[in-house]
Amino acid sequence: MTEISTLPPQWTPIALARDIAPGTAAGAVLDGAEIVVWRDTAGHVRAWEDRCPHRGMKLSFGFVRGDRIACLYHGWEYDGSATCRYIPAHPDLAVPATIRAGRHAVAEASGLVWVAPEGTAGLPPDMPGLTPLRSLFLDVPAAIAMARLAEGGLPGGGDASARHAGPFLRLAQGGLSVLVAHHAPGPGSCALHLLVEGDAAPAALVAATACFRDAVEGVEA
Amino acid sequence: MDITVTLDFTGHLRPDSFRAFAAHRAARLSLDCTVLRQDRRQATFRLRGPEVLVDAFEMAMSLGPADCLVLAVRREPGDEGMER
Repeated sequence: MTEISTLPPQWTPIALARDIAPGTAAGAVLDGAEIVVWRDTAGHVRAWEDRCPHRGMKLSFGFVRGDRIACLYHGWEYDGSATCRYIPAHPDLAVPATIRAGRHAVAEASGLVWVAPEGTAGLPPDMPGLTPLRSLFLDVPAAIAMARLAEGGLPGGGDASARHAGPFLRLAQGGLSVLVAHHAPGPGSCALHLLVEGDAAPAALVAATACFRDAVEGVEA
Repeated sequence: MDITVTLDFTGHLRPDSFRAFAAHRAARLSLDCTVLRQDRRQATFRLRGPEVLVDAFEMAMSLGPADCLVLAVRREPGDEGMER
């Protein structure tokens, strides 16, 4: 079983990397802060404050075009450095570099997109051999959800186990091992990001989903 | 093309708030901004920069921060300031 290094404390997983497809943007919330996570068509992922500096529109409603994201409202385009490069209403304007969105540090590791305050040193742990399963969003405080999952583990078998492994909770039963990462959108909610360890065949993924749905329903009960 | 204008805002202005808002917006737009006058009724700024960005500054300041109410805006070319 792969050992997991200690996580630098500021890094938080906010999405499965698989769920941010090239050329798309998605919104996430972390401790009440709205974040746009987007991936350019070359595959580079970004995480910024989900707010256009122009009029405050959510950038997650915008469109990814090549290596830029364009605001839905007035079409202001930002490149990968979060700097505005083009304002359609003023096509001849040399846009000053001071017009830029607020950035978070972002990293892809262990099949997840992680964010941290800009300038954070170190990187989150990168474990090989993980298969992304799904993200689940619960109306349960994160601490309570994770504590209950640690108590209950995967349901349906006497050999089930649950133990903390770095930033993950590892739930195991028989030959199946699911890693659970999480973040808190707000004080009363929790987002779980599930990954299966090892080479998971489609049938195993289905079984894992079914097991985990039971576990989650137990959390929410 | 860079221009220089004087913008004069009158209304109900909290000086610290209005000034901080102006400084933030001018920095965001890379404009040279000089405060010529600032009190609870009036704020006058001299701006230098691309015309469209000066226009954007004027628009932003006409809305102002939440604790200020701008009732009138005057705009004059040049940097002589305005007499009221």
